[in-house]
Amino acid sequence: MGEATAPARDRPGEVAGGQAVPVLEVRHLRKAYPLREGERLAIEDVTFEVARGELVCVVGPSGAGKTTLLRCLSGLMAPTSGEARFEGEPIRSVPQGVGVVFQDYSRSLFPWFTVEKNLELALKVRSMGKEARGERIAQVLAAVGLPEVGRRYPWQLSGGMQQRVAIARALSYQPELLFMDEPFASVDAQTRFELEDLVLRIQGAMPDVTVVFVTHDVDESVYLADRVVALSRPPATVEAIVEIDLPKPRDQIETRADPRFAALRGEVLELVTGRTRRA
Amino acid sequence: MTRSGVLRRVAVLAGSLWLFAGLVALWWVLSDHSRSPYFPPLRVILHRFDQLWLFSGESTGLDPSLVHLAIGYAIAAVAGVAVATVLYAVPLLREATSPVVYFLYVLPAPVLIPAALALFGIGATMSTAIIAFGCFWPILLNAVDGLRATDTLKLDTARTLGLSYPRTLWSVVLPGASPQMVAGLRAGLQVGIVLMVVSEEVGATNGIGNFIIQAQNNFAFTDMWTGILVLAIVGTALNVLFVGAERLALRWYYGARSVARAR
Amino acid sequence: MLVVLAALGLWQLLTATGALNRASFPTMWSTLRALGDQLTTSGFWTTIGQTVEGWALGLALGGTAAVLVGSAIGLSRLASRSTAPVIEFLKAVPSIAILPLAIVVLGTHLQMKLTLVGYAVFFPLVIQVVYGVRALDPTVADTATTLQVRGLRRFLVVVLPSAAPFIATGLRISAATALILEIVAELIGGAPGLGQRILLAENAGPTMFPLMYAFVLVTGILGIVLTGMFTLGERRVLHWHESQRNLRGATR
Ligand SMILES: Nc1ncnc2c1ncn2[C@@H]1O[C@H](COP(=O)(O)OP(=O)(O)OP(=O)(O)O)[C@@H](O)[C@H]1O
Ligand SMILES: [Mg+2]
Repeated sequence: MGEATAPARDRPGEVAGGQAVPVLEVRHLRKAYPLREGERLAIEDVTFEVARGELVCVVGPSGAGKTTLLRCLSGLMAPTSGEARFEGEPIRSVPQGVGVVFQDYSRSLFPWFTVEKNLELALKVRSMGKEARGERIAQVLAAVGLPEVGRRYPWQLSGGMQQRVAIARALSYQPELLFMDEPFASVDAQTRFELEDLVLRIQGAMPDVTVVFVTHDVDESVYLADRVVALSRPPATVEAIVEIDLPKPRDQIETRADPRFAALRGEVLELVTGRTRRA
Repeated sequence: MTRSGVLRRVAVLAGSLWLFAGLVALWWVLSDHSRSPYFPPLRVILHRFDQLWLFSGESTGLDPSLVHLAIGYAIAAVAGVAVATVLYAVPLLREATSPVVYFLYVLPAPVLIPAALALFGIGATMSTAIIAFGCFWPILLNAVDGLRATDTLKLDTARTLGLSYPRTLWSVVLPGASPQMVAGLRAGLQVGIVLMVVSEEVGATNGIGNFIIQAQNNFAFTDMWTGILVLAIVGTALNVLFVGAERLALRWYYGARSVARAR
Repeated sequence: MLVVLAALGLWQLLTATGALNRASFPTMWSTLRALGDQLTTSGFWTTIGQTVEGWALGLALGGTAAVLVGSAIGLSRLASRSTAPVIEFLKAVPSIAILPLAIVVLGTHLQMKLTLVGYAVFFPLVIQVVYGVRALDPTVADTATTLQVRGLRRFLVVVLPSAAPFIATGLRISAATALILEIVAELIGGAPGLGQRILLAENAGPTMFPLMYAFVLVTGILGIVLTGMFTLGERRVLHWHESQRNLRGATR
């Protein structure tokens, strides 16, 4: 499987005086969906920050408002109140430097385009030259371990491969910040482990890419994250933010066998389910 | 219903009908001083419409047309579904007839009107026959397709339940095919309306088609406009009736679909 | 093929033995002979050309207008809501209702045919287009937004392809309707073409009936050819959709 080899970029988030602005700041974000009668509160109050190069997992029970939160953070939807800032700028529409990987890969890849064309679209929009596009596409497809599928259509690939293509597409334009919404919820367990390692490897190879990874799977969040933002049961508030100080690089067998992994997993699980462990 | 509920319904209705009302009003205003013989003022058309077609109307041209349509369509519907069931049950027959069936389905039915004229002469039989013939093919073809698309799992279920063949046909296959049968019936109705008018325009002594062609030949353009209006209203009314009946008959289908979509 | 021969044989049998009335049903043989005679005349091919011309131009005009108008309407929820009753009503107006109007205003020329065929094509198709554009999958829309695909490019590259299955279904149905209306325009409007030749042959009396049925045969074959072209084209353009194609879902 190919290594990610995207070139390092300069750091536009750096402010004069040397103090780093967090890539993502979320302040008292609240979202209520208007309904026919009244409204449904999906997110009550969420505040957290993500620094450059971090991998933060947002974990919460089903229906907690994770997708809602992610749509607000990526600028697809406006919050009811509170705000989110990307590199210090309030997010009003989807910023250029943001990539999103959706849960439903079968619908987020355009079935009428080949894999190559799917990737090319985002680069064309950013008016990249034809040759540079071809190079970049080959590069990111190799990085996700699919060097030879460019000419195929997404629906000719397996679910795991499709999600790799979606990740490659999001990475192709080298975003500062990558959002992933339960990206591996509908692939089998084996593929899921592989894809988790892919995310870790990409993050290792591109230390500037910041990742916000949303999941309902506590194990996954602890395995991947530098920090875990644990959401309460709906409507969402932040229960706690847990530092994951497990050593890197991580390994599916070793890390999960680590007693500290079990302890952290227990801690996050408690927060998410709102239950205390039996003595 | 609460008062705000009523208000909301009124608002929704207004929100979707304003353009329609506006266009009618625009037609009224723009045509009001029209001198063109082809485009009389809407005011005049409606007045004539009232004289000719409403309760005490002089013209009864619509009744025979609707009778032809009703009889022809009913024959086509019953025959179409019955023949489709036979073709489904006897695959060999279906294979053997399919090129001819397809040819007759694709053949635009109006080309047979002269032949029907030669066969039946001018009159009600001709209209009814050509309507029945034209409606038959889309109904037949859709019904066969629907029957053949029966889920094999449902057939296996029926077999494990020990249902007899006729019982399976009646309780499993036919209901499963009904959405597509309805699609065929709807297509057939459209063809039927066209044939009703065309057949009367070519070979009838009464009926709405005949009325329109007479008006045209006599340069009675206002009368012709009322005929167009009648056809528009009849077309819309038949459509609304059809959709209503469909909703009622296929309640299970739309119910299941909306559940599936909400998931 | 065998079946077609058998059908032709049955036709010959029924008419030659007199089981069907000889006067109104010519034999298969005389019909095919009339057809054979026609094949070598230039008028025959001109006639087919006239019918195909009206069909194709009417379909192109009505189709283009429907795609443009339908897309514009479909992009706005208010527009779709407000225009729906108008379109539904005008669609329910059988297109032949406007035939007399088209004849008196436009005469028996090509314009009359095109107006009629275009009208018949436009309304059913515009509904399909609006429906297709409105049915844009929210995930697809979100994906396009996050990739910064906007404006005309978004319409051409995302909205139109995802509406294409609906548009194709609408076009296929419209193509058949267009042929029916083309024939009607010739039959009643007196515009030149196959429909007119059929009527003329009928008017000429029983001796010309073989010719009339020959033209009926030709019309059917033309229908098969035109429909077949559409099915082929659809398969090529929508190959990516084949796996999830659900025609029943798309027709309503
Ligand atoms: N468009 C909407 N309109 C109204 N309510 C909505 C809408 N979208 C989501 N909700 C509601 O908001 C709440 C949070 O939904 P959301 O999809 O964000 O949850 P989630 O954490 O992503 O769940 P899952 O783990 O199942 O994906 C739910 O109660 C849901 O019913
Ligand atoms: Mg979700």
